[in-house]
Amino acid sequence: MSVVSQHADSVLMTSKPTLTRLATVFLRIGNTTFGGGDPTMAALQRELVQRRSWLTAEDFALAYALARITPGTNVVAFCVAVGARILGTGGAIAGALGESLPAAMLAVLIAWGYESLRANPFAMAMITGTVAAVAGMMWASVWLLVRPQIRGSRKTIRAALIFGASFVAAWKFGITPIPVIGAAALAGFLWKEE
Amino acid sequence: MNALVIYLLLLKATATSFSGLASLPMIRDDFVVKRNMLTDQQLTTAVVSGRVGPGPNGIYVVSVGYFAGGMPGAVAGLLAVITPAFLILPLMYWIGAKAGAPRVRSAIRGVMLAAAGLLLAASLPIARDALTGTVPAVIVAASFVLLSFTRVDSAWVMVAAAAVGLIAKVMK
Repeated sequence: MSVVSQHADSVLMTSKPTLTRLATVFLRIGNTTFGGGDPTMAALQRELVQRRSWLTAEDFALAYALARITPGTNVVAFCVAVGARILGTGGAIAGALGESLPAAMLAVLIAWGYESLRANPFAMAMITGTVAAVAGMMWASVWLLVRPQIRGSRKTIRAALIFGASFVAAWKFGITPIPVIGAAALAGFLWKEE
Repeated sequence: MNALVIYLLLLKATATSFSGLASLPMIRDDFVVKRNMLTDQQLTTAVVSGRVGPGPNGIYVVSVGYFAGGMPGAVAGLLAVITPAFLILPLMYWIGAKAGAPRVRSAIRGVMLAAAGLLLAASLPIARDALTGTVPAVIVAASFVLLSFTRVDSAWVMVAAAAVGLIAKVMK
């Protein structure tokens, strides 16, 4: 192996930060990026891969793809994977807490504030406005989940049947989510897309 | 309520869903319908609390825990958000190669569709509470359109909705 490629390898293999520095990046990026998972992961890619070379682009892509199929909140799983790749177990814990702890404290503060503001009619008017926005937001989530699967008539019919059956099972028959999800996974497994 | 029970109920919801709000139907079923530990209004407030701040949207689970069991409940909620994230480590080390298999992907797509159907069912009681007049109806429609078809930040939609609610109240 030549000196040049060894050098290239060492650049590719990245450098290792201290745990404090890694945690600081998760805290800063994870808690100044609004809009949920995708913008946060994009910001972390810029920071960890391009700016600091702590992570290779391949590891980023793997963590990004696997975060989608990991249960729970994608971006937290993403931070665990990336943290583990950079610094092992300590990095994974730094990723999980850095991404979620400040946001969790803020969420509790807002929830707590709501209870004490309930008596105030103006605060309630604002909350009523946001409740309406949440209803719209949930429909937007429904649309964003269904939209990628509306492509071609066969795929669309398949998507409409699984989506419709899940909705009817929950709304009309009060079936709880786990059996519905299990049935949909089985249906998806047996009835392939193409 | 016991923080451990809250943790296990929330973990059941987070560990069986694949995106922020997909856990909502199960949480509503357990906390609002079956156990009456939360009102629909508190659940909605929890969702808002996760949306107006930065960080992941799934963090609303922490507020659900807080409403159900105070600060110990909130800690249980945070742990329920974090726990399933660690499943990515075994995935990264040995299942990584299989994730591209057509049948596995097809099953995951099926779960996404079920999540959408469940989410729609869970949204109907919230929509019924929210739709009390013309102003809320406009907010519902505007928020749906903005969040579905533009790249606008959802936090701004929440702030704007609060402002519209306030203005409508002042002008009345």
